[in-house]
Amino acid sequence: MTDVDRATITETNWTPEQKAEFIRRRRGRNWALFGGMIGLCLLIYAIAVVKLYHAGHMW
Amino acid sequence: MSDTILRASASLGGPAPVATTEQAVLDQAILGGTTVDWLALLKPRVMSLVVYTGAAGLLVAPGTINPILAFTAILCIAMGAGAAGSINMWYDRDIDAIMRRTAKRPVPSGRISPEGALGFGVGLSVLSVLLMWLATNLLAAAILAISIGFYVFVYTMWLKRRTPQNIVIGGAAGAFPPIIGWVAVTGHLALLPILLFAIVFIWTPPHFWSLSLFASADYEKAGVPMLPVVAGARATRLAVMRYTLWLVPVSLLPYVLHLAGPFYGASAMILGLTFIWYASGVVRDKQDATGVSQTRDAPAKAAFKYSILYLFLIFGALVVDHFL
Repeated sequence: MTDVDRATITETNWTPEQKAEFIRRRRGRNWALFGGMIGLCLLIYAIAVVKLYHAGHMW
Repeated sequence: MSDTILRASASLGGPAPVATTEQAVLDQAILGGTTVDWLALLKPRVMSLVVYTGAAGLLVAPGTINPILAFTAILCIAMGAGAAGSINMWYDRDIDAIMRRTAKRPVPSGRISPEGALGFGVGLSVLSVLLMWLATNLLAAAILAISIGFYVFVYTMWLKRRTPQNIVIGGAAGAFPPIIGWVAVTGHLALLPILLFAIVFIWTPPHFWSLSLFASADYEKAGVPMLPVVAGARATRLAVMRYTLWLVPVSLLPYVLHLAGPFYGASAMILGLTFIWYASGVVRDKQDATGVSQTRDAPAKAAFKYSILYLFLIFGALVVDHFL
């Protein structure tokens, strides 16, 4: 599925420029969300390691 | 599609949605905001002050905290403040659209839908409180939750549109971060973070009333009862001076009570006297019979800028003093 195909799902009668803009914005949001979720996973993992270390449950 | 958006907006409660049907605005809503727009919902400039005072509270607290947990605590304070800002933008979208200062925000300009801003704010609020609890302790998480709730329910929804004392009482929401930072390290309250709370609390009125002096036309147009709108510019100028005069002795309390050293004491005195000088400029501003400025509120703008610098410097002095 191309980017233009994906844009047709929105059920609007945008111009090609509007579709391209929608896709650009959505891609930006998705990458930001992806980065945020990866960061959150790493942070929770790091917190768990620190907490377990201080509680004497690691090594 | 436009009707769908407006209906969805109305179904969420709160103030009536901005009744614009301009296709351009609706197109923006359908396109969705950019990442920058979503970050703008978090009010980054307000967040920077909150993070700074929270970090100061964390740094001057006795005891130690793992750097990862300290980073997480500061991140949670930032997320909580940003979340409250996002919910505030959802609720205030009707008046934001009227005021020139706020009309370009993502929600009133249509770049982000109201329900998007609300969901983002609520989601971040829950995440920040849970993460704070996980990383530090329940008390810090509870105070963070209270500060978010205070800003949203007490300031935004209850006081802002009802009383000129809105920012006096509502200012408490922005004063919690030093306490949160402190409690994240120690797990309990103490006198110094309460004094830091008091400093930010009393600093807020002269800060916001200086702003409202040169933005009063905006507030009047939107029907927000800020002090210059309700009591007039002259009364506001005197109120700025009154609270600034209160701020100086309160800011000296940590030194007087031997909770901070002479570097902080001297800094607080110099910064406070400078603040009084700026506030006196606001009072002495060339004005007409009703107190309206004849200088485009230049002294009020200067006092507003200085108030931000004041907060950065006085908390900076506290941290430096702690490590001297």
